[in-house]
Amino acid sequence: MGIEGIERLVKESLSLERENLVEPDAKEILRLAGIKVPVFKVVKDVNVAIEEGGKMKYPLVLKLISPNIIHKSDVGGVRTGIKSPGEIEDAWSEMILRVADEAPMAMIEGFIIEEEARSGVEVILGAIKDPQFGVTVMFGTGGVAVELMKDVSFALAPLDEEAALKMMSEVKGYELLTGYRGSAPCDVRAVASVLVKLSKVVGSTNGLKSLEINPLIVYEKGVVAVDARAELDLLDGYKTASSSS
Amino acid sequence: MLDCFFNPRSIALVGASLNPEKLSSVIYESLNSRFTGELYPVNPAHEALGRVKCYPSIKAIKERVDLAVFAIGAEHIPEMIRDGAGQFAGAIIVSGGFKEAGPAGRMLEQELREAAARAGVRIIGPNCLGIYDTVTGLDTFFIPPERMERPPGGGLSILSQSGSFAVTVMDELAANGVGVARVVSYGNKTDVNESDCLDFLAADEATSAVVLYIESVEEGERFVNAAARCVLNKPVAALKVGHTKAAAAAARSHTGALAGRYEIYSAAFKKAGVIELHGYEDFLLACRVLGDNKDISHGRRVMIITDGGGIGVAIADSCVDLGLEVTPLGSSVTRALRGTLPSVCAVSNPMDLTGSVIDRDFGDALQKTLEGNEYDVAIVASLWGPPGLTDNLPALIAEKKKYLKKPVIICTPGGTYTRQREEHFRAMGLPVFFTPESAARAVSFIAEGRRDRWA
Repeated sequence: MGIEGIERLVKESLSLERENLVEPDAKEILRLAGIKVPVFKVVKDVNVAIEEGGKMKYPLVLKLISPNIIHKSDVGGVRTGIKSPGEIEDAWSEMILRVADEAPMAMIEGFIIEEEARSGVEVILGAIKDPQFGVTVMFGTGGVAVELMKDVSFALAPLDEEAALKMMSEVKGYELLTGYRGSAPCDVRAVASVLVKLSKVVGSTNGLKSLEINPLIVYEKGVVAVDARAELDLLDGYKTASSSS
Repeated sequence: MLDCFFNPRSIALVGASLNPEKLSSVIYESLNSRFTGELYPVNPAHEALGRVKCYPSIKAIKERVDLAVFAIGAEHIPEMIRDGAGQFAGAIIVSGGFKEAGPAGRMLEQELREAAARAGVRIIGPNCLGIYDTVTGLDTFFIPPERMERPPGGGLSILSQSGSFAVTVMDELAANGVGVARVVSYGNKTDVNESDCLDFLAADEATSAVVLYIESVEEGERFVNAAARCVLNKPVAALKVGHTKAAAAAARSHTGALAGRYEIYSAAFKKAGVIELHGYEDFLLACRVLGDNKDISHGRRVMIITDGGGIGVAIADSCVDLGLEVTPLGSSVTRALRGTLPSVCAVSNPMDLTGSVIDRDFGDALQKTLEGNEYDVAIVASLWGPPGLTDNLPALIAEKKKYLKKPVIICTPGGTYTRQREEHFRAMGLPVFFTPESAARAVSFIAEGRRDRWA
């Protein structure tokens, strides 16, 4: 696991007084941790977006990058199902107009052009540092409605794959992964392995307060992390250093 | 080491008085009548309490005491702890006026903590009721016995951050005849906290089960480790109060928004193997079922035996809702019972012995179903309408239980006549519940409390 690379990324953002990582950085952390993410490129110009998109497999997704916008789709910052260079151009201009309307003060750092992951079962995974109990991981279903459905379970780190599978089986939506109504069973072990990795990354990276994948798309074989976010905490690391003295 | 609190040979009561208006008079009376070791009243205002010599200071005792109990105003306590180096090993400070009482109190508590560290004195409290201990006879609860009945001796130990919660629960347990080993109200936990107590109770032979009331835990990882060690030896159940969410709106991720304080405590309990309790009723249920029931279940398979079919089905429903298994009777047990029981009985699970039941039918059904390897625990729901049931039933069930070495829970819903039967069951050491739901819930606690569950 590329812990040094992960720490460097976190430090750079902390030095910019950021409270969270932008999506490409959060995904880079996942990649360094050995968690699969879709092929993507960060672009700042629509022509570059079309050029880079040409090297990818359609359909594509265009996403906004802004440190101020936490839930991109709420402000029109995500466009899926792009099937041609012309559609990249249309999506680009629409998105700029829409975001100017919905979040006029947001700082736009650029865009992500990305291969759209094929559909599968969507789950949410997270790890957060708790000041009293240390790293706590979360698993849940419900997609964008996760906060409404609250079909989630929690476990304290350290946890191994078996413990991860056990906590996964505690949510109602777990059946979606094990072959609900005749669908093929999904790769639950791959999900468990991602949970273990998340808990390790958050536990061993100073300054990283939480790391979340939403959604992680689960297939019969393998998983892919389609979107990720990370919260930073400047004081984390200093706190642990002083409390152990 | 907490021996100075749980096995003291000598106690100095600072602020001792016979004046019933002083809290310390209740403590003095309790210690005087039940504490088995040496008791030294300390109060410069008196030369004697009755015919007992009263010392002007701890120093004047001229012998090292194990425990000093402070029931005086907060302001002099840090100084007395500082001067106490070498004179006493532990201190229970029931006095308030510390951290909970504003900035001046916070400073005083800081002073107290530093004084204790320097003097090498362990502290329980301040702002607490201290310890009620049926093993040693120590009782620093300053509520008079006519207002709070003391529970008899038993195997249950209770740790409570709240003093009034501990008092209320003890009073209820006493009224229900449930015994306790040690009850600790640790208040502000300036030194000794829940984890220290769990470490002690894990190895304590007098304690067969632990139930905790928690408002907050500061050393989370230590708590999980201490509780997990304790769970290896005996069941541990905990109630965490305060389900308020962290400022969810401010959270910058779904994980942050959903991971309220309570969810994390719940995950901590799960990790340690602690039985999670929800609310006051659960707390009492857990105390009653874990308290005197040393036969911890080794599984979730429940046998339900009743003389009222409807209640039997209601119990089965509650059990299933709680994740317990009401597994059908095996064929050999069914055959054996068909040969023994009257033909009107419904030989199944739940088993209905019907209105023609006599005491012996309950005994036979209990023995034949539990003696094999098919069930881990039984709920016996005796409804007292049938004329064939007598007051000998509790003794018969207790005898079978002793032989079967598996937990048996009594569920006996009903009015006055039925409630009066409770005493007979209790006298036999059988835990009694009055509703299908509470009986099933109690069984879920002992099923969860089994030692091998994380193996």
